[in-house]
Amino acid sequence: MDAPILQIKSLEVAVDGRTILKGVDLEVPQGEIHALMGPNGSGKSTLAYALAGHPRYEITGGSVIFDGQDLLDMAIDERAKAGFFLAMQYPVEVPGVSVLNFLRTSLIALHGEELSPREFMKLFQEKSKLLEFDASFTDRYLNEGFSGGEKKRHEILQMAMIEPRFAVLDETDSGLDVDALKVVSNGVNSLRGPNFGALIITHYTRILQHITPDVVHVMFEGKVVRTGGPELADELEAGGYAQYGSPEPAVAPSA
Amino acid sequence: MANAPAWAAELRQTATANLDRLPVLTGEEEDWRFTPPSDLGLAGVAPADGTAVAVDLAATAGPRAATLAFTDGTPSVPHGADLPAGVIVAELGQALIDHEDLVRSRLYSLIGFDDRPGALNAATWEAGTFIYIPRGVTLALPTETLLSATGARGRVSARTLIIVEAGAKATIIDRYRSGNLADPVAVSTATEIIVAEGGELEHLSLIEWGAGVRHHARITASAGKDARVRSVVVTLGGDVVRVEATHIAAGSGSDSRALGLFFADDHQHFEHRVVARHEAPQSYSNLLYKGALKDQSHTVFFGNLVVPPGAPGTDAYQTNRNLVLNEGARADTIPFLEIETAEVKCSHAGAVGRVDDEHLFYLRSRGIPEETAKRLIVIGFLQEVLAHVELEEVRRDLEHAVARKLA
Ligand SMILES: Nc1ncnc2c1ncn2[C@@H]1O[C@H](COP(=O)(O)OP(=O)(O)OP(=O)(O)O)[C@@H](O)[C@H]1O
Ligand SMILES: [Mg+2]
Repeated sequence: MDAPILQIKSLEVAVDGRTILKGVDLEVPQGEIHALMGPNGSGKSTLAYALAGHPRYEITGGSVIFDGQDLLDMAIDERAKAGFFLAMQYPVEVPGVSVLNFLRTSLIALHGEELSPREFMKLFQEKSKLLEFDASFTDRYLNEGFSGGEKKRHEILQMAMIEPRFAVLDETDSGLDVDALKVVSNGVNSLRGPNFGALIITHYTRILQHITPDVVHVMFEGKVVRTGGPELADELEAGGYAQYGSPEPAVAPSA
Repeated sequence: MANAPAWAAELRQTATANLDRLPVLTGEEEDWRFTPPSDLGLAGVAPADGTAVAVDLAATAGPRAATLAFTDGTPSVPHGADLPAGVIVAELGQALIDHEDLVRSRLYSLIGFDDRPGALNAATWEAGTFIYIPRGVTLALPTETLLSATGARGRVSARTLIIVEAGAKATIIDRYRSGNLADPVAVSTATEIIVAEGGELEHLSLIEWGAGVRHHARITASAGKDARVRSVVVTLGGDVVRVEATHIAAGSGSDSRALGLFFADDHQHFEHRVVARHEAPQSYSNLLYKGALKDQSHTVFFGNLVVPPGAPGTDAYQTNRNLVLNEGARADTIPFLEIETAEVKCSHAGAVGRVDDEHLFYLRSRGIPEETAKRLIVIGFLQEVLAHVELEEVRRDLEHAVARKLA
């Protein structure tokens, strides 16, 4: 087993003074893909945002070591430069900022000025093709008027272009149709290898059939309460979180 | 205006008499409570003549049908390439003599001299622009007037009259520029725009003064039946600038769009008072002003939709949004409605906000440093207006000017 890319110890996080994460321990060795499951409101997105450095999420205890560095000490953009990526559950719309301008600014920030406009366009076209991302979106403003599925696909397009060392995918699968799910999974699998790790937050095993996780974690009321192999996901989908005290099982998607 | 004809001299005498008769503005007046008239040179003595600072005229202008330039109120010879037959681009003082038939009935028709600032302009303007596009003629390239100040003259007054006849079409740019002046200058401009039935006009006012300039600008545009008027007001420069832009829907089926963009920094003070007045039924107006502010700047937006009795079917919108980049800068927005006709569709909205933390987080999470992210967000915010500037070179210039303010 490689050294962990992500090592979370006793992490406590509060939002507006209310403690949401109550001591999370979680470790992902580099090159592995882990799944994080758990009922609504258990704190999965809170963990994702806290790792990305969202200012609303206040770290009240614990530590996060990312690739040997103290992640919590870094500014938001420094975390991205260190190789951390978050595909968001609800990507925001940013008016007036075009997709292309945004992507180019991001890549230049991450890789320096040596990326020529021509190389950039080549990369963009290649990855758009991989993710079947409509080229006509490039002049549109960031996420503005994108459908739910298009937003998710756009998150993964960014990930494919940035090629982070580690990505957290927060419910990227929710709201995707069957075909889109395959395309997005291909995008993730294309990065899979010894230099890419991921934590896939999901409610369903559907995406995990395309991207087989090495390990599955269960979050419940702000803690990781169980860690197991891929079979744990099936068990959760069948039995829900009742054994951890949850009143109702997770529901299968209607789509 | 050396050899004004008798009729014009008479009007000027009346304006001068009004100026002596009308009470001095104190700043207590409801219309004037945000921008002290004395700061604009509208009350008290005008700034004294001073030392000239050269104007940087390096505007990256694209091709123009005609250009006019004024420095401290003195015109240089108008330049016009092959203008279509009947098109006139002339100095206004000269046009009083050469084109009395066209000018006399329209000059002062939209901006009179019954109030003090109006009287001041009418009594003091020295030179100006007259543009006439005859019936059915399309002027493919824009015309551009550059009004500049050096500080050598403490007061600069200019006037513009634009007439777009029925079915005619033109794009007209008024640019205002100076260097950073050592001595203050008070500028007064009055721009009357008349677009007749089915005419189309795009009018741009680009206010790019350096430090030291105070500018009171009045722009009134009247749109005839089925006419389309689009005005873009961009205010970036000057110490104190007050723009009063009035759009009159004079004919039914007319379509007026008022776009505005301002970005104030340092101690700049900008006030925009934008009015859409619907005097005819079934007319449309849409007003969108967006402003950004930083440092210790202050901006005021006052918008008014006026629908007097007898204008059913009015369709009018008004929006002002402001983005305040730091504590210490202040934006006021006052949307107003005066509706006296039933069966109208009107809406107005004003908002003052800060850079959205979620937007900032999203961009930064992709490795974009905070300052760059803010710049993208501000330019993105103003993009809604910039995107409507059809002349590409002007749009690019404006994007750069905005980016410079953010640097
Ligand atoms: N920005 C916020 N403001 C207020 N409360 C928040 C915020 N973020 C999270 N919370 C609260 O923290 C708890 C955990 O929310 P979180 O979004 O992390 O859950 P989740 O596990 O991602 O749920 P889901 O499966 O529904 O996405 C919830 O009770 C939620 O209301
Ligand atoms: Mg969530």
